[in-house]
Amino acid sequence: MKKVKTFFRYDNIGLLFILPAFIYMMVFVGYPILSNILLSLQDVSVRNLVKGEKHFIAFANYVGLFQDAVFLKSVKNTLVFTISCLIFQFLIGFLLALLFSKRFSFAKTVRGLTMIPWMMPMTVTALMFKFMFSTDVGIINYIFTKLGLIQSNIEWLTTPGTAMIAVIVANVWIGIPFNTILLSTGLTTIPQELYESASVDGANSFQKLTRITLPLLRPTIESVLVLGFIYTFKVYDLVYVMTEGGPVNSTHLLSTYSYKLSFDMFQYSKGSAVANVLFLILLLVGLLYLKITMEGEED
Amino acid sequence: MKKLIATLLTGVMTLSLLAGCGAPGAASTAPAAGAAEASEAGEPVAASEDAAGDVTIWYYWETAGHQEALDHIIQEFNGQQDKITVQAKYVPFADFKKQLSVGASAGELPDLVILDNPDHASYAAMGIFADITDRFDVSTYYPGPVNSCTLDGRLYGVPFGSNDLVLFYNEDMLADAGCDVPTTWDELLDVAKKTTKDNVYGFAHCALQNEEGTFNFLPWVWSTGQTSYEIDSEGGIKALEFEKSLVESGAFPKEAINWTQGDTMNQFISGNLAMMINGTWQIPTMREEVPDLKWNVAFIPKDKQDASGLGGENYAVIAGGNEEAAIAFLQYATSKDTCLYMMEHMGYISSDSTIAENQFDGDPVYQVFVDEMQYANARGPLPEWPDISDAISLAFNKVITGESAPADAAKEAQATIDSILGQ
Repeated sequence: MKKVKTFFRYDNIGLLFILPAFIYMMVFVGYPILSNILLSLQDVSVRNLVKGEKHFIAFANYVGLFQDAVFLKSVKNTLVFTISCLIFQFLIGFLLALLFSKRFSFAKTVRGLTMIPWMMPMTVTALMFKFMFSTDVGIINYIFTKLGLIQSNIEWLTTPGTAMIAVIVANVWIGIPFNTILLSTGLTTIPQELYESASVDGANSFQKLTRITLPLLRPTIESVLVLGFIYTFKVYDLVYVMTEGGPVNSTHLLSTYSYKLSFDMFQYSKGSAVANVLFLILLLVGLLYLKITMEGEED
Repeated sequence: MKKLIATLLTGVMTLSLLAGCGAPGAASTAPAAGAAEASEAGEPVAASEDAAGDVTIWYYWETAGHQEALDHIIQEFNGQQDKITVQAKYVPFADFKKQLSVGASAGELPDLVILDNPDHASYAAMGIFADITDRFDVSTYYPGPVNSCTLDGRLYGVPFGSNDLVLFYNEDMLADAGCDVPTTWDELLDVAKKTTKDNVYGFAHCALQNEEGTFNFLPWVWSTGQTSYEIDSEGGIKALEFEKSLVESGAFPKEAINWTQGDTMNQFISGNLAMMINGTWQIPTMREEVPDLKWNVAFIPKDKQDASGLGGENYAVIAGGNEEAAIAFLQYATSKDTCLYMMEHMGYISSDSTIAENQFDGDPVYQVFVDEMQYANARGPLPEWPDISDAISLAFNKVITGESAPADAAKEAQATIDSILGQ
């Protein structure tokens, strides 16, 4: 009894408080992850999902993946997709955040309205962009033609290169509000006095941006980029609805390819191996995020 | 052991292909009077007296008319007796396979499913379907559909109904261009070019990179005399070359790689397409939506021989579910009147030859589909069919988008197919 009392006396009581959350995480997050890792080390396919022996084949699925052209392509696609999206949605989001930090009438209302893409269901956005990028009846080709930018219609979603551009554009549109809101919040934490005294010292707008805004916004920017990476890296529904990974696998991401392997082609183990590669990369980025936020709290 | 399985499978596959071709001949020759008697013979073989309880059905038909038809026969069945209560649950097609796989590993499945026939073998191999070989009589059914429910000589389902593909054409557009209905590939290409103008494309078929696209593409390969497993062959390459020439002529919209069969039909009835390949099930919708459009159907233009794709759904009883009650419902659902009611509302051809024979008395459009049935080939059955299908659909997508030359695309597809069959 005395031992129990001692155990709970100081910091240890905290352990009790996190216990419910810990159990929840283990059951609903930990177990699926472990079970998925186990699945990826077996040879589960259509013939032995329900009956028959599931052989342990160690890393054979992973070795197979790295000889699979579609997998390698989807790794490359995922990186291209994520990095392009991050760059554009951050830049545009940052510019919008700067704009909305100016105190003009309706600034707050308009900033609120820009959240709409973020709140819209992903499939709705995807269908909308699918229509807009359509070759013959799409509004994007229509506008380009009217502006005299193109002679004949661009086959956006039926040509491998442009299909990737189309899904990136759609995802950037969704991601901008997220960047704008977080960066706007970050901007409000910078004291106005700093800008005022800088003006007195004769700094121009560009110097204020590079010497005051950017350095003080650094923690926010880091969080925005890392969270943006995580959200973008695991995008699935947008691409699935817009292109289903096509044409000719040119827009397959790790997420869509994993789904296709598991549920269209019944190669459960190979599909889960792809999912684990996705998980591993996100885990690393997640750890990086933890490190950044912890450092931020220490400051 | 693996070799033995592979040999067996190949054997079953080959047989099913042969059977698929020869089958419906019986339909046109059997006497009409025999129909009623034969359906009597199809009475329960092992119908159990104590079939009772709840039966849940999963299905994926999204068309309102189809859902209402199913609902209608379920209500009727539930009203007729008080032991069994049937209810149906709609699962979207895109999620259907996922739900079945997840349900299979979690042990949470319904009692009866209505599924796409090329997937049947996969789930039968998985072991989630009950073996109903001696519990349901399919002797009057067409061999093609029955084969799609059969694995290693055992029956794992009952054909719900069949459909096949034919050429749909807009009569006015062909007349304006001064063209006759094409019967060969060359004529098709020619007519397609002549009917292409302004915002009208001459010809299209669904070319999605999935099972739906494969279903619409394979008739070209079969028409050359080659099988689904021989893509890197004279005929397979020729089929891909033909697809390429259609696209390059400008008469075939590249966007068809993103069109479902429903999308293709919508393009056709909106007057954006002069001709298309499509299936039996579109007829009720087309007649309702555009009663004034003048369209007709003909056999798919051929290279060497007539060929079409055999589609349709099968019922499958889930192993370990309420099997007896599910079979009792199947007996009712496949009885002549109920079956005819479903077929009519679904726009399907009954898989039971005794019912199909007189199903479309005097309807020339449906008659073309029934006649084309004798040239309709089944896909698979093979548990790994989805992988084969994926390889084939990748090949024609590469050709349509211009990513690969037909010969290269064929070679790549063949390598995948061989590696699957060689396992």
